Amino acid sequence: MIGLGESLIGLIKLGDIVLYLTPTTLTLFLIAVGFTVVMALSRPETQVELVFGMDGYKKSEIPMGEIKFRRYMAIVCGVATAGTMITGDIFDFALFVTLAGIADVGIVAATKKPQVLDAAYQYGMTLMIAGLPLFGAAALILGTTGTLSLHELDTIRVSGVVAVLFILGVLGEIGVAPFYAAKARLFRALGAPYIIMIHVSTLLIIVRTVEIIVTLL
Amino acid sequence: MDIGELFQIAILLGFASAFIAFLGFVLEKDDVHKLVLTDLIAVLTLMIIACVGTDLAECLILPALVVGVAEVLAFSELAVAKEKTRLGFEEKTQQSPLNIEVLKTSPNIIAIILILYGAVLTGFTGGAVAGLGMLYYLVCRWEGDITKSFWEGVGAVSGVAWCLWIFGFLLFFIAPNLWLLALFLAGGGILVKVASKMGLIGIEGKRSFRSSGGRT
Repeated sequence: MIGLGESLIGLIKLGDIVLYLTPTTLTLFLIAVGFTVVMALSRPETQVELVFGMDGYKKSEIPMGEIKFRRYMAIVCGVATAGTMITGDIFDFALFVTLAGIADVGIVAATKKPQVLDAAYQYGMTLMIAGLPLFGAAALILGTTGTLSLHELDTIRVSGVVAVLFILGVLGEIGVAPFYAAKARLFRALGAPYIIMIHVSTLLIIVRTVEIIVTLL
Repeated sequence: MDIGELFQIAILLGFASAFIAFLGFVLEKDDVHKLVLTDLIAVLTLMIIACVGTDLAECLILPALVVGVAEVLAFSELAVAKEKTRLGFEEKTQQSPLNIEVLKTSPNIIAIILILYGAVLTGFTGGAVAGLGMLYYLVCRWEGDITKSFWEGVGAVSGVAWCLWIFGFLLFFIAPNLWLLALFLAGGGILVKVASKMGLIGIEGKRSFRSSGGRT
């Protein structure tokens, strides 16, 4: 019995790295992959603003370079999220979460505006600090149990302090991402629709973290 | 002392240092100093992973190090972009990446240290270290011209060194009792080959870096 998924579909043994498939992780993985494809194919939005006091409107132009960079970062973030969903190794999980976090910073930072770049920079600082509890928790799990494989950790209990560190790490790496996206005021045409990738990755990774915590405790 | 106790003490020390670094981060107001402090925290992460002390921990340090370096690079770029936008810099401003004081004063001593250390190491690692010293010196300080004969001369040295390496390897199989000679032939050969290749990269790098403006 593994975590939330209850029934084990299968094990993929690649040497030391054992991937495991449960209905939960498989569904989450497919959602992440599908959403990445949607992001890669979707077209950017153009914001139209009414001009006050007269019968007219203007379009806010977003440079093509920014859009391309943001789409690339959204795809990287989607791939990292999909990896987070399917991995069976707690250290790989930490690495994928960090990669998704860096890609989220990239999505936020594509716009050359002071308040947006400020928010992205602060998110970056948070992300780097959160690396310590996240990787520290992974190292403590390895040091106390002798394994990193979630499949084996299912039968071993890990102390609550490590779980708290792990949650803190994931929250700092990616849990705060929507907060900084909101702080940068990116939800309208500036970031649309690629900004949604931040929310999807955060949601999916938090669900997966809950599953891992259930497995650990 | 028991190894388990050592592990606990090391982990506690790691987290205590991290706590001090966090305090410093909270008190610091300047953005660039904050970036430096986050790099310190990344190093402490490596220390906590290293506390595990098995060969698996050794494999885990490398990805964690790469993540830390990638983050520092990305966020320093972000800080530069942020400052440029805030100050209203134009995008096309000419800047030489070599126009830093430390790059004019440090190459002599650092190149000597790296080349000597590379010669002691020998082999591929030694070649990379010595070549790095050459690359650093050539990019920062070297003012000479690259003639065709010079280029071909370095290429010829590299080729001869490669032959020495191959000959050393052959000697291992043909005459195993000469293993020490073979070891030195192979190690020295690959040292010279890798170092000369990286030196050529340094010459190329000097040309392309300096032509982008700034220091003459």
